[in-house]
Amino acid sequence: MSAESFVVGVGMTPFGRMKERSFESIGQEAVLKALKDAGIERHQVDEVFCGSALTGRSMGQRVLRDIGMTGMPITNVENACSSGSTALRDACTAVAAGRAETILVLGIDQLSRLGGGTIPQLESDFDPNLGMVMPALYAMRARRYMHERGATSEHLARVAVKAHEAGKHNPYAQYRNDITVEEVLASRMIADPLTLMMCCPTGDGAAAAVVTTRKRAQALGRPLIRVAATALQSGVFKTGFRDMVQSELTMRTAKLAYETAGIGPEDVNLAEIHDAFAIAELMYYEALGFCEPGGGPALLDSGATRINGAKCVNPSGGLLCRGHPVGATGIAQLCEAVWQLRGEAGARQVEGARVALTHCTGGGVAGLDHGSCAINVLVAG
Amino acid sequence: MQDTKQTESAPPKVPEYFPVDRPWEESGGLTHLVGMRCSACGTKAFPARGVCSHCCAQSGMEPVRLSARGTLYNYSEVHVAPKDFPTPYVIGFVDLEDGVRVFGQIEGPASALKPDQTVETTTGIVRVRANGTPVISYKFRGVPS
Repeated sequence: MSAESFVVGVGMTPFGRMKERSFESIGQEAVLKALKDAGIERHQVDEVFCGSALTGRSMGQRVLRDIGMTGMPITNVENACSSGSTALRDACTAVAAGRAETILVLGIDQLSRLGGGTIPQLESDFDPNLGMVMPALYAMRARRYMHERGATSEHLARVAVKAHEAGKHNPYAQYRNDITVEEVLASRMIADPLTLMMCCPTGDGAAAAVVTTRKRAQALGRPLIRVAATALQSGVFKTGFRDMVQSELTMRTAKLAYETAGIGPEDVNLAEIHDAFAIAELMYYEALGFCEPGGGPALLDSGATRINGAKCVNPSGGLLCRGHPVGATGIAQLCEAVWQLRGEAGARQVEGARVALTHCTGGGVAGLDHGSCAINVLVAG
Repeated sequence: MQDTKQTESAPPKVPEYFPVDRPWEESGGLTHLVGMRCSACGTKAFPARGVCSHCCAQSGMEPVRLSARGTLYNYSEVHVAPKDFPTPYVIGFVDLEDGVRVFGQIEGPASALKPDQTVETTTGIVRVRANGTPVISYKFRGVPS
């Protein structure tokens, strides 16, 4: 990129079910917090990118209208679970192009308005007509992963326990409680082997960030958090065999992110990864290079991915505990990364964090690993 | 569908088929899915499409009878599903012997299945509409080894 991008302000709503609130007010709360954190006025925003996946159209305009942020270019971005991260990438591209100096990025969704249950899939593919639901897609991955890697349901349960162990300290998390392996295993079966507590909750929320140039970041006097990579890839279509244990899409996106940032997986102090279902965390440990292929269960067992471990994963609680209002997730991950790199994460602070990675992937499209995968690298200083 | 008998007391619902063009054939006691083969590059795929995803040929897609058997790559017994799908039911990915991967329901129970086992194509009810209409499609079942 020709110009570097820096995150100078972040803010988010607590995640949870907020059916009584309008999505506009949820989004406005996040936006106003991010502007305040950046120390800028609303009229200083040159351009806006808004990521959302399920709630509606023209989300950016609908959120910003009533706080008088109108007139500037607003681009609404839909890219399934990667919508928020894709919006961040677009913002950095606009900075790099020299087109805008100060950009607002918003991620938002309100799933409680959709009713309960699993997220509806588009029926133009055969799969949803035959009974495919997202939890079951991950359950099938889990079944194969357990077969090939020797992982057990207890490993899956321990991923959820670890998520809550960190997330209970996160004031923005949908759940703030400790859970036990026994409780996770005894919770209602959703899609074997995944029980309810191995699945992320549906919920509502918004997260926002202000992205700008190095010069303006320095002028604002905020801690310098550099966006060192915003890698985005889409799933590759296969008509035949696909390895559903090793995520080719996440591996490919991670390679691009590491190359762009000039780092390797060993340099990452903390990662916010897309644990929509507990099995995903084990798969993505491997795909992100935090361990060798096959090493997922052992890495979890080692404790290295807990808050005080050498490779902390999901200090926010991840999707399993913080929650997953789809379009908001990528920016919520960004918020966590920024707070961690500034040393502002309180009881869930990863000591000495300098490099953070955020990872989103999703979008059920038949024949693809996932619709998209987005990986960002954030570096302090 | 013409063999469905209507009775006075409880008229059975005429089943629907998914997909409506019923891309399968019975032959010699076996059920074969009918997919496509690109005459330009030989790529086989299911379901059939108008353009070859491999070489981008826009014509010359021939219907092809796919292998009746394959191996079960993975599966899950689903307990929470959209309301048309009576739970539990089992779904999985099957790698047919000619290399095409197909998603579908698997005749359960899941406890009787294991990864990499041989399965064969069959047909049966995959969902029941709110008005009671069964939907029939292709599915797979385990083959005793």
